[in-house]
Amino acid sequence: MDLTPQPHHTVSSFDDEMNQLHAQIMEMGGLAKKQIQKAIASIKKEDLDLAKKVLKRENKVNNFELNVDASVNRIIALRQPMASDLRHIMAISKCVNDLERVGDEARKIAKITAKFYGGDSTPPNPSLLRDIDNMSKYAQGTLSDALEALSRWDMDSALAIAKSDEELNLAFSDALRRLATYMMEDSRNIGYAIDVVFLIKAIERVGDHARNIAEYIVYAVSGQDIRHMDSEEAHESVADVQNYNSYK
Amino acid sequence: MTSNTQQENDHQSIAARMINNENFKTIGDISAKKPRMVCKNVNVHYGDFHAIKNLSIEIGKNEVVAFIGPSGCGKSTFLRTLNRMNDTIDICKVSGSIELDGVNIYDKSIDVVELRANVGMVFQKPNPFPKSIYENVIYGAKIHGLVKSKADMDELVEKSLRKASLWSEVKDQLHKPGTGLSGGQQQRLCIARAIAISPEIILMDEPCSALDPISTAKIEELISELQQNYTIVIVTHSMQQAARVSNRTAYFHLGKLVEVGNTDDIFNIPKHKLTEDYITGRFG
Repeated sequence: MDLTPQPHHTVSSFDDEMNQLHAQIMEMGGLAKKQIQKAIASIKKEDLDLAKKVLKRENKVNNFELNVDASVNRIIALRQPMASDLRHIMAISKCVNDLERVGDEARKIAKITAKFYGGDSTPPNPSLLRDIDNMSKYAQGTLSDALEALSRWDMDSALAIAKSDEELNLAFSDALRRLATYMMEDSRNIGYAIDVVFLIKAIERVGDHARNIAEYIVYAVSGQDIRHMDSEEAHESVADVQNYNSYK
Repeated sequence: MTSNTQQENDHQSIAARMINNENFKTIGDISAKKPRMVCKNVNVHYGDFHAIKNLSIEIGKNEVVAFIGPSGCGKSTFLRTLNRMNDTIDICKVSGSIELDGVNIYDKSIDVVELRANVGMVFQKPNPFPKSIYENVIYGAKIHGLVKSKADMDELVEKSLRKASLWSEVKDQLHKPGTGLSGGQQQRLCIARAIAISPEIILMDEPCSALDPISTAKIEELISELQQNYTIVIVTHSMQQAARVSNRTAYFHLGKLVEVGNTDDIFNIPKHKLTEDYITGRFG
């Protein structure tokens, strides 16, 4: 990695605006992460109140989306950013979408909690929910790693995230297979199992959003667009750029 | 934690070390698809001052090449070597080779007047002659003996003014003084004057720096039209302008050509740290 100190912009208020924008997206990331944690805790602990809190706080995440978008617009209009500045701003602008979607996934999970444990119907057989523990560990870990990498614009950590998302996808496939078995064993499970499919899909999507964020980080830092590449291809494409960086 | 100034100083000295290294080579592809001007190892000295250091670049047919860089980096000096404008400065010495279509323009047999007719120039400040608009356009063609009859002259004036997107604005006042036009119109008049003698290459030294945004937009529009028939080299301090009008961009720093490449690449993913810092407004 290049350890040369990054000089400041000649216009120092541009630095301030960039720092504020970064702080905004990190705060939004922190909130989205908490929402997911709470939503998952609500289903694991069968905690209806917690689920309600998640639903109530959802619009906070949405407000962040509006604010960050406004900041991005303003910087582009006033500063005409170029090169790495532009890439970082575009990356943040895209991260906003993914973090907002993470908020949406938290809402979906919380709604299922409310459906399972808030109504008159009997809660589902706990064995239907056995994969949630494992999957949510992966998903939350991946999201935390992505946010950590975003806070330091750390390309190397970002590159590792694709791999952990691939593992989460495998866990999702396993879980689906098991759910299918439960449904075949006892048709009374089918109604619940469909909801559980939505539930684990929401968890799996968190991993995808984390992976997207990681891809934007790589783009911001290196200029390489690694979307739609597997982790091996991504590493190769970035290695080319790192060779150029030795000029620097 | 280091202070801002401290960091910047560190950075500047690292930058200077990087390109003062003897082995430093321009990053990116210096070659053009259909080269017209080929510059090899060009050095320019003003007395003891080494203004251009071992610079090589090719400029291709129907290409717009932008030269960017901080003040004093040598971009205007280099532009002026391309039609030997530096000949007028006694202490200026140019070495290396600059070829136009395979002919060394610094060869003794070269007629400098003819060279400058082939490689026209538009300056930072519009400088029309204190004559009528008509005379401004036709002057060069007359002294080069390109036109004889009145009809030929009328035709050339109209053609050149049309190419410079000025005809509709001045067609009813061709015999009024050129200096009475607005700054933007004067600059387009200078471009018409340059075009009238059918140059192949037009050098522009910050052609829009003295103009308002609308005149600037008109000149930029004109550059993209002129590109069909001419090769254009433009020096500009406006990065946005370089990004808008040029096909290739060359970044100069302390007399060296640091990086050259497709304009898209230079402004999206510059390879050298100095280029990156300059275009993102981190120094200069």
